Amino acid sequence: MGEPAVQTLDISPVGRVEGDLDVRVDIDDGVVVNAWTSAELFRGFEIILRDKDPQAGLVVTPRACGICGASHLTCAAWALDTAWGTTVPRNAILARNLGQLTESLQSLPRHHYGLFMIDYTNKNYAASRYYAEAVKRWTPFTGTNYELGVTISGRPVEIYALLGGQWPHSSYMVPGGVMCAPTLTDVTRAWSILEHFRSNWFEPVWLGCSLERYEQIRSYDDFLAWLEEKPEHANSDLGLYWRMSQDIGLDKYGVGHGKYISWGYLPHEDRYNEPTIEGRNAAVIMKSGVYNGASDSHKLMDQVHTREDVTRAWYDEPGGLHPFDRTTAAISNNDMDPEGKYSWCTAVHHEDNGRLEAGPLARQLVAGGDHGESWQHTDPLVLDMYRRLGGASVALRHFARMHEGVKIYRQIERCLRELRLDDEWYIKPTETDGQGWGATEAIRGALCHWIDVRDGKISNYQIIAPTTWNVGPRADNGERGPIEESLIGTPIADPSDPVEVGHVCRSYDSCLVCTVHAHDAKTGEELARFQTA
Amino acid sequence: MANLLWLQGGACSGNTMSFLNAEEPSACDLVTDFGINVLWHPSLGLELGEGVHKLLRDCVSGEIPLDIFVFEGTVVNAPNGTGNWNRFAGRPMKDWVRELSEAAQFVVAIGDCATWGGIPATAPNPSESSGMQFLKRDRGGALGAGFVSKAGLPAINIPGCPAHPDWVTQILVAVATGRAGDLKLDEFQRPATFFTSFTQTGCTRNMHFAYKVSATEFGQRKGCLFYDLGCRGPMTHSPCNRILWNRQSSKTRAGMPCLGCTEPEFPFFDLMPGTVFKTQTMMGVPKDMPTGVAKTGYIKLTAAAKAAAPAWAEQDIFVV
Repeated sequence: MGEPAVQTLDISPVGRVEGDLDVRVDIDDGVVVNAWTSAELFRGFEIILRDKDPQAGLVVTPRACGICGASHLTCAAWALDTAWGTTVPRNAILARNLGQLTESLQSLPRHHYGLFMIDYTNKNYAASRYYAEAVKRWTPFTGTNYELGVTISGRPVEIYALLGGQWPHSSYMVPGGVMCAPTLTDVTRAWSILEHFRSNWFEPVWLGCSLERYEQIRSYDDFLAWLEEKPEHANSDLGLYWRMSQDIGLDKYGVGHGKYISWGYLPHEDRYNEPTIEGRNAAVIMKSGVYNGASDSHKLMDQVHTREDVTRAWYDEPGGLHPFDRTTAAISNNDMDPEGKYSWCTAVHHEDNGRLEAGPLARQLVAGGDHGESWQHTDPLVLDMYRRLGGASVALRHFARMHEGVKIYRQIERCLRELRLDDEWYIKPTETDGQGWGATEAIRGALCHWIDVRDGKISNYQIIAPTTWNVGPRADNGERGPIEESLIGTPIADPSDPVEVGHVCRSYDSCLVCTVHAHDAKTGEELARFQTA
Repeated sequence: MANLLWLQGGACSGNTMSFLNAEEPSACDLVTDFGINVLWHPSLGLELGEGVHKLLRDCVSGEIPLDIFVFEGTVVNAPNGTGNWNRFAGRPMKDWVRELSEAAQFVVAIGDCATWGGIPATAPNPSESSGMQFLKRDRGGALGAGFVSKAGLPAINIPGCPAHPDWVTQILVAVATGRAGDLKLDEFQRPATFFTSFTQTGCTRNMHFAYKVSATEFGQRKGCLFYDLGCRGPMTHSPCNRILWNRQSSKTRAGMPCLGCTEPEFPFFDLMPGTVFKTQTMMGVPKDMPTGVAKTGYIKLTAAAKAAAPAWAEQDIFVV
C-alpha cells in the first residue's frame, strides 16, 4: 500500500486467438488502465504476389488463413471479376455464397467450444452456481458438448468439399464463375448434411428449441421471454452461456470504441452478374455499413474511405494512404517499443470515422439499421440489445456471433433451393489489366482484397482482414486499436492467470495468422537490403 | 499415454483446421481413446502467457517428457537469420523449434510449410522461411539434414496444403499405440503408405484421361483436367482420391485441377504469369509428363487414345 499501484503485465502468447498475439496491459488496483496489442509474425504474402500471375491470389490468399480460406477465396475471385469486367452466372454466385456460408457455419461450434467456452471452466469461476455444469459440458476434449460441438463442426464444410473438393484450401472460385458443376446428388447430400447438423446440435444442444421458434425473437424482451419460457431454453448451451456470462460479469467489460464496420456480404444471384466495385453495395443481401453507437446512426461503407496508418507499426512510409496507393516498406528491426512501433499490424481506419470494430457484432448492429436497399436483410435484435444493455461487452459480442447461425443456416438452404442444375456455372472471361476490389464478411468480420493488374501480372495486391481492423496498434493521433480500447476497464482477478484478457481478445475471435501478412508489400530492392544488412 | 505439443510458426492454421475435421478418430477420440495428452496447442491450449513459457521450458529441460512435437508452418529466419519476424513466448520461434525438437521422441512436420517451406517460401521468400529438414527439394532446413529425434527418426514429413486429417491421425495413433516401428518413410521422409500412389489414383476422370478427352473450361461434368487446365494429378504423390476429403470428394472430382501441393515445388513455377490453371506445353505436348512416361510414348499413346475415344466421352456423364 502507498507504493505505485500500476503493474505492467506482458502476456505472450494469448492463445486461442488463431495465431500469436502478444498483449501488454497496465493494471491499476486490479483493473486494466492501458493496453497494447502486438502481432508478432510476418510472412509477406503481398510481396510474394507481386509480379505473379493475375490468378495467383486464388491459390495464395486462401492459404493466408486456413480458418477463413473460403472468405479469402471469395474476395480474391470478386476482385478479379471487377478488374477483368467478367460476367458471373447466377449459379456461380450461389455456389460461391454456399462456400462462404458453410465455412462460417463450421466456425460457430468450432470457435465456441474449441476457443471460447473453455475459459468458463477456469478456476476463477468456481464460485459461480453454473460452474459445475460448465465443467461438465465445456472442459477441453472431454466435456460432453465440447466433444459434440468440435466434432460436428466438421460437417458444414463437407458441403464445401462437394463444391470445391476439400476444406480448407480449395480454389474453386475463379473469375467468371466456379470450377464445379454440382449435380442433384450433391444438392441432396448437402441437404442431409445440413439436417444432420440441425437435428444433432443446432436445435437440441445449442438452442433447446426449433429454428422457427428462435426466429421469432426480434427484441431483447423477446429474448428474455424465450429464456424464461421453458427449461429447455434456459438450459440449452445458448441459455447457459447467457446466464453464466451475466453471473461471472462478462456483460460488464470489453466495451471498445462503439464504432463498427461491415462490408456486407452474399451478393444476390441476380444482382451482381456484371460485378463492379461501385455496384457492390446495392447488390449484397447482407448490407454494408458503418454504425456509430454514440450517435446511434447508420450509413453505408465504401472502400474509398479505407486508410492505413503505420506510425506505430513496423513499417516506414507515410500514413493515411488508401491501400491502392501504398508503397509499403517493412523495417527489419522489429523491437517491441510500447512508446513507438510495436506491431506488424497497421492501424486501419475510416477517413472520417477513425478506428472501427469489425466482426459479427458489427454485422448485426449494421443489420439493425434502415439504411441500404429496401430488399436487403434487416434484423433488429442485436441492435436492440446493444441499446438496452448500454453498449458492447464480451458477452454481447460473442452472442452476436452465435446469433447469426440461424440466418447463415437459412441462407444455405436458400442457395440449395436456388441452384439450377442445368444452367451454366462458368463464363470464360477475357484477361485484361485493371484494378479490382473484392470483399466479404468472414465469420470474424470485414475482409477485402485490392488487386492491380498491369502488363498481365499483379503489380499490387493488398489485403485488409477483420483482425487488421481489430488488433491494430495505436494510430498517429494516439487513438487505440479496438481491442486495446476494449481492454480498458477489464478487471484482473489473478495477474498470474489473466483469463479476463483472454475473454476480451477471444470475443473478437481475432485471427493473427490472417492479419500480419496482410498489409506489407515492399519492393525487391528493400528486401535485398534487409538480407545483406 | 503420449505427451503431445503442437506449435505454429509461419502458419495459416490450415492444418489445425483440417485436423479438427477428423472423424475416425476425431481429435477428441485421440485424447479420450488413445491417451494422447495435448500439452498445449495455439488454438486449443488452456494456458496463456507465463503458463505457456513454463510448459515450454519444462519440455525442453525434460521435466515434462515430450513424446511428440508437432510443428505446423514454416520456420521463419528473417530478418538476417535472427527469426525475429516470428516471435513466440518472448523469443524467436526458430529457437523454440530447435530446442523442442532435440527434446522430443518424435518430431512431426505437418503441412507444406513445415515440410518444404510451402507458400511463404515462394520467391522471393520474404520471411526467409524454410521447412524443418528441407527447403523445397533441398535437404537441410531448420534442423539440418542429419537431424534425428530421440527415437532415431528424422522429422516425419506429412506434406499437403493442408495435410489430410487421416494422414496426421494415423501417425499419432501409431506412435501412441507403440507401432511407430511400422512407419515406413520415403526419401522425403513421408509415410510411404500415403505418398507412393498418385493423386490420380482413383480419380473419377481417369477414363477421360485415358481417351485424352479434355475439360477445356471450368464448370463441366466431363473431361480430364490434365490436358488444358494444369492438373498435376498424374505426377503428384498423394492419396487424395483414395482417402477422400471431408468424407465427400476431392479437388479433381469436384472439377478443380490438382496443384501438386504435396510435392516440394508447390506452388509450381513460382506462380509466374501464365502458369496458374493452365497446362504448360511445348509444341502441344505437356512440359511435365505423367511420372515415368517418356515424351515419345506419350505422343503415341495419346494419338491412339484420341482415335479410340468413344462418343460418350464428350457428353455430360456426371464424373463429379
